[in-house]
Amino acid sequence: MADAPRAAVVVEDLTKRFRDFVAVDHLSFTIAEGEVFGFLGPNGAGKSTTIRMLCGLLLPSEGRAQVAGLDVARETEALRRQIGYMPQLFSLYPDLTSVENLEFYAGLYGLRQPSLGTRIEELVVRLDLEAVRGQLTGTLSTGWRQRVALACAIIHEPPILFLDEPTSGVDPAVRQQFWNLIGDLAAEGTTVLVTTHLMEEAERCARLAMIDRGRLIALDTPQALRDGLQGLLYEIDADPLLPALEALASAPFVMDAALSGATVRVRVAEMGISREAAIRDALAAAQVNVVDIRAGEPSLEDVFISLVGDREEASAR
Amino acid sequence: MRRPATLRRMLAVARAEWRHNYRDARSLAIVIALPVFLLLIYGYGINLDLRDLPFAVQDLDRTEQSADFVNRLVRSGYFTLARAIQDTREIDSVIEVGAVRFVLVIPHGFGGDLASGRPAQVQVVLDGGDSATASVALGYLQALVGDHSIHLARRWAMRHGLPASAVEPALRVVPRVLYNPELRSVNFIVPGLIAVILTLLAALLTSGCIVREREGGSFEALAASPIAPIEIVLGKLLPYAVISFVDIVLCMVVGRLLFGVAPMGDKALLLGLSLIYLIASLSIGLLVSSLARSHQVATLIAFLATVLPSLLVSGFAFPVRSMPVALQAIAQIIPATHFLIIIRAIYLKGAGVSAFAPRVAALAAMALALVLLTVRTFRKRLE
Repeated sequence: MADAPRAAVVVEDLTKRFRDFVAVDHLSFTIAEGEVFGFLGPNGAGKSTTIRMLCGLLLPSEGRAQVAGLDVARETEALRRQIGYMPQLFSLYPDLTSVENLEFYAGLYGLRQPSLGTRIEELVVRLDLEAVRGQLTGTLSTGWRQRVALACAIIHEPPILFLDEPTSGVDPAVRQQFWNLIGDLAAEGTTVLVTTHLMEEAERCARLAMIDRGRLIALDTPQALRDGLQGLLYEIDADPLLPALEALASAPFVMDAALSGATVRVRVAEMGISREAAIRDALAAAQVNVVDIRAGEPSLEDVFISLVGDREEASAR
Repeated sequence: MRRPATLRRMLAVARAEWRHNYRDARSLAIVIALPVFLLLIYGYGINLDLRDLPFAVQDLDRTEQSADFVNRLVRSGYFTLARAIQDTREIDSVIEVGAVRFVLVIPHGFGGDLASGRPAQVQVVLDGGDSATASVALGYLQALVGDHSIHLARRWAMRHGLPASAVEPALRVVPRVLYNPELRSVNFIVPGLIAVILTLLAALLTSGCIVREREGGSFEALAASPIAPIEIVLGKLLPYAVISFVDIVLCMVVGRLLFGVAPMGDKALLLGLSLIYLIASLSIGLLVSSLARSHQVATLIAFLATVLPSLLVSGFAFPVRSMPVALQAIAQIIPATHFLIIIRAIYLKGAGVSAFAPRVAALAAMALALVLLTVRTFRKRLE
């Protein structure tokens, strides 16, 4: 394995407790250099807490983590020279302009003139910030703020980048721009750990860690995660919607049932036969009017729901 | 110029803090208007001098001698004759409504007694409700009566062909007041006030500046950067040291223009030593700010830790030596106590460093200790 990529981040049994609450529960994973690694999970799953431990902002209660070969608890200051961090909360100074915020972070990382000025102009172009360069960041919309914050996080060209929900509150066009930039940075060799709760964003990660209530429930490429999903998927348009969901969730042959927009998605055990008739019977018994039934393609959301469902069944047993 | 990275990081913090301040109208108001406002209120408000105190006279004697005596009081400048009373029943009412602060009653036979060389008496009815003014007024009155007696005795002796020395009192106190010969209280109050105003400003300025970042999101990004606590602390102190240094100059100018109070001693020395005091006071605010959970709590604690002791225990209002032993010990660990001694010595006595070297040493040691303590307790973590 001579040409195996070196690990940028190594996490072993990483655990964080706040009094009785276990926010992160024995996480283990490795991120290769130059990889875009996604953290997918609902709010409160422990994604931010994990990133904060990796930045040295929180001390692990148990376990170990190395970033750029440096221990997060013992070599914190050396580690901080190797990372860029974009917190989930608005972290800019609202009464400074976009460029003044960039100057502040450039100074924090010890950049000096003239490369400091060149670097700021480079980022203004790369993130399209020309229109807001002189505007106080407190008066910017969320999309602009996030762009300035991302520019601040990468001003010192860190080899490892932690982005905590960088696209929350951002419109789809800007989100697209963000992910293009993340791809470019990875192509240049930057390791990126990015959290999200949006499935379509998760698709763009090289590998994905699914986190639920502090635990790692799956870790693979998006494709492999989808391929690993057991059973058949159906999308059902029904009226009324909620009784349809209840009826299907309690049907014995249904593995998972969930709402996706105005559609019920169900996963049923594969028995070599179509389950459409069984679904129609179950809905008819519940006096629900079926508008349409079609076969569905497995999505990451289905994977997540099935894994969380398995965990709940296991803990109920 | 190639600056080391540590200096660049420190200056980045200082610059952001500076920009934050000049964009914030409220902090500009605190910096410029507050010192002038306080100096005006307290400079004019805390006036312990006696000037033009209104009084009334009930002259039952109506002689040349009684008129002469009243004249002497009025000429002194301390008292103003507000009204003459005919009826004894009026005495209570004029004091009660506050029209006068005391009433002088000159009895029948005052002039006759004096003319024939007998001791005469006058009565003073004082408003004891304001005991401070009453006792000061009484002191001035007694001194004036004493002067007048000697004056009358000399005249009586001359008229009877006796040498003036025959009627001089055996002992007389001739006070000579050093450093503040006119005993103007503003000379004493203004330098102390400058010290208190600087303390208040320092607490207000720095007590918010770290906790505010923790309340917002900026602390997280700052803490995840490679900046060292000492770079943050010095970077935060620098702009506020400049701002409060401008304030001490402002206070000195206002003291000079409005109250005519200027330092007798070396102004450059005073400014230099003020800087040490400012660093100590600003560090207290910063220390509180880095430990407190919320902005309001930080401001309150900073106020309790700096402004209250500097008002009450430092010797600003009450002399340290007349305090209980425990309070005297506390006074010694408050920077304001030492700075008050220094600023008053330079203002009133024109003293040099040799007169208060131990105070300078104490102040410098406190400033250094407070900066180090702030750096040591600064945590670049979120818990």
